[in-house]
Amino acid sequence: MEDVLIPLIVMPILFVALPWLILHYVTKWKVNSSLTGEDEKMLDELYELARRLEERMNTIDRIMQADNPGWHPLGYDPTRPSLEKPSVSDFEPRRSAEPTRQERM
Amino acid sequence: MAGQNTRFYLDKEHGKFLGVCAGIADYWGVDVTMVRIGTVVSPFVIGPLVLLAYFLIAFMAPNRPRELDQLAPAEKEFWQKVRKNPKRSARMVRGRFRELDRRLADVEAYLTSPDRRLAREIDSLR
Repeated sequence: MEDVLIPLIVMPILFVALPWLILHYVTKWKVNSSLTGEDEKMLDELYELARRLEERMNTIDRIMQADNPGWHPLGYDPTRPSLEKPSVSDFEPRRSAEPTRQERM
Repeated sequence: MAGQNTRFYLDKEHGKFLGVCAGIADYWGVDVTMVRIGTVVSPFVIGPLVLLAYFLIAFMAPNRPRELDQLAPAEKEFWQKVRKNPKRSARMVRGRFRELDRRLADVEAYLTSPDRRLAREIDSLR
C-alpha cells in the first residue's frame, strides 16, 4: 500500500506543483518588469537629461553663491560650507569618452 | 525586445565557470558569492532541474557587450535598480526633476524678489 501511495504523492509534487510554482513567479516577475525597448530608451534619455540639468543647476548655485553672499542654495549645509561641492549632488560623468558640453553645442 | 540595458548577459570575465552566476549578480546588483552559494546549494534543496536551468542559461544567454563596462558606477547602479523595479526608477527620475524644479524656483524667487530689485536699482544709481 505504501509503495503505491508515496510515488502517488511525490510525483504530482515533483512534476506539477514545482513547475507551477516556478512559472508562477516567472510570470509575476515578467509582468512587474515589462519594460519595452522604447521605454528603456526614454528612461535612459530622461536619466541623462536629469543628470545634465543637475550639473547646470550646480553651476548656477555656485555662481549665485559667489555673487550673492547672503544667498544659499536649497539644502545648503552650513557645517560644510564648500563652493566646490554643492550638498545636493551625487553625480559623476556618464562615460569616460563622452564629449564635453562645449564640444556638443 | 528589451533594450541593451535590461537584457540578461553572461559575465564570463568575472565568472568562475560559465559566467551565469556573475551575470545574475550583475543583473540585479547582488553579491556574486551569495548567488554562487545559492546555485551550489539549490540542486539539493529544489531539485536537479536547477542544474539544467544553469546550463540552459549558459547556452542561451548572450555574452556581455564591452560597451557596458564603460558605464559610470552611478549609472550601472541605476540600471540595476531599473531591472529590479522599473516603476520605482521612473519615480526616482521624476523626483530628480522635481528637485531641480524646486532649486531653480528658489534661485528665480531670489533674483526676482522686490528687495533685490530695489538694491540693484540703487546700485546702478551710484
